[in-house]
Amino acid sequence: MSGPDDPETTSGIDAATEQRVAPDSDGSGRVSRPATERPPYVESTIIMTTVRVIAPFVLTLGVFVMFHGASSAGGGFQGGVIAATTVVMLGFAFGIDPVADRLRNEHLGILLLAGVGTFLTIGFGGYLVGDNFLEVGGYESVMHHGTKYSIELVEVGIGVVVAGVITGLFFLLGTGINSVTVGAEEDTE
Amino acid sequence: MTPLEYLAAALVVGGTFFGFVATVGLLRLPGLYARLHAASKSDTLGSVLAVAGVAVVLGVSTESLKLGFLLVFLLLTSPTAAHAIARSGKEQNVEPAGDVDAPWIDEEEGDA
Repeated sequence: MSGPDDPETTSGIDAATEQRVAPDSDGSGRVSRPATERPPYVESTIIMTTVRVIAPFVLTLGVFVMFHGASSAGGGFQGGVIAATTVVMLGFAFGIDPVADRLRNEHLGILLLAGVGTFLTIGFGGYLVGDNFLEVGGYESVMHHGTKYSIELVEVGIGVVVAGVITGLFFLLGTGINSVTVGAEEDTE
Repeated sequence: MTPLEYLAAALVVGGTFFGFVATVGLLRLPGLYARLHAASKSDTLGSVLAVAGVAVVLGVSTESLKLGFLLVFLLLTSPTAAHAIARSGKEQNVEPAGDVDAPWIDEEEGDA
């Protein structure tokens, strides 16, 4: 693409090249620009409408892939990534900051804890119904198709964790690291 | 071969052709906008034609219904993604590359 190094594109557009400086070029180690330096969010009717139509289907596909991890193509990780894509799309269409305000870190933390908790519940439940950690074959004695359902639950737990982590990483890259954290890092240097 | 298979083969070959056109355009054209122009339109048509060919082969079934959904979503999302990229390029003041002295390019509007 037409980067700043391309001699053809930089002729006579000094004002444009100034704005295309890499975010980390000041050497401060920040991975993203603070809100004051970022270009303002400009809404686009086309993108917003498409995202509004597409988002429920993408989330449904993510859940579908999550639930089909045990029996066919798919799995918790892939489903979680697809589900997190919904949040990324919403961020692109409606601005990252409003979406990040709505989905706070505490909510993502609860999501992560729920996923890990599901996994650990199934895992340690294996000790109760069988002999080992994640001994899902033992769940057959608890209920019909217990093996299948417990594997699906493990996949859903993984998927929820992956979705939460990817959403959190996206918000971290999009809105910047908390200033308190950056200050703490500078103190240790 | 049945006529339906001929149709499917024609669709897939057409899809491959447009995918090839998109690839050549992406590799050879100068600058963001020209490449986006080549890639988005031809690639959308190419993938849609190829998916339609597969759907014709599978006939009336659940799979072709899924492929129909895929076709609709491709037609919706691919141009929107291209629109978003071009838009953010303009907001970041990315200039069109290539023959910038061409008489039909309005310099003042380009610098605005």
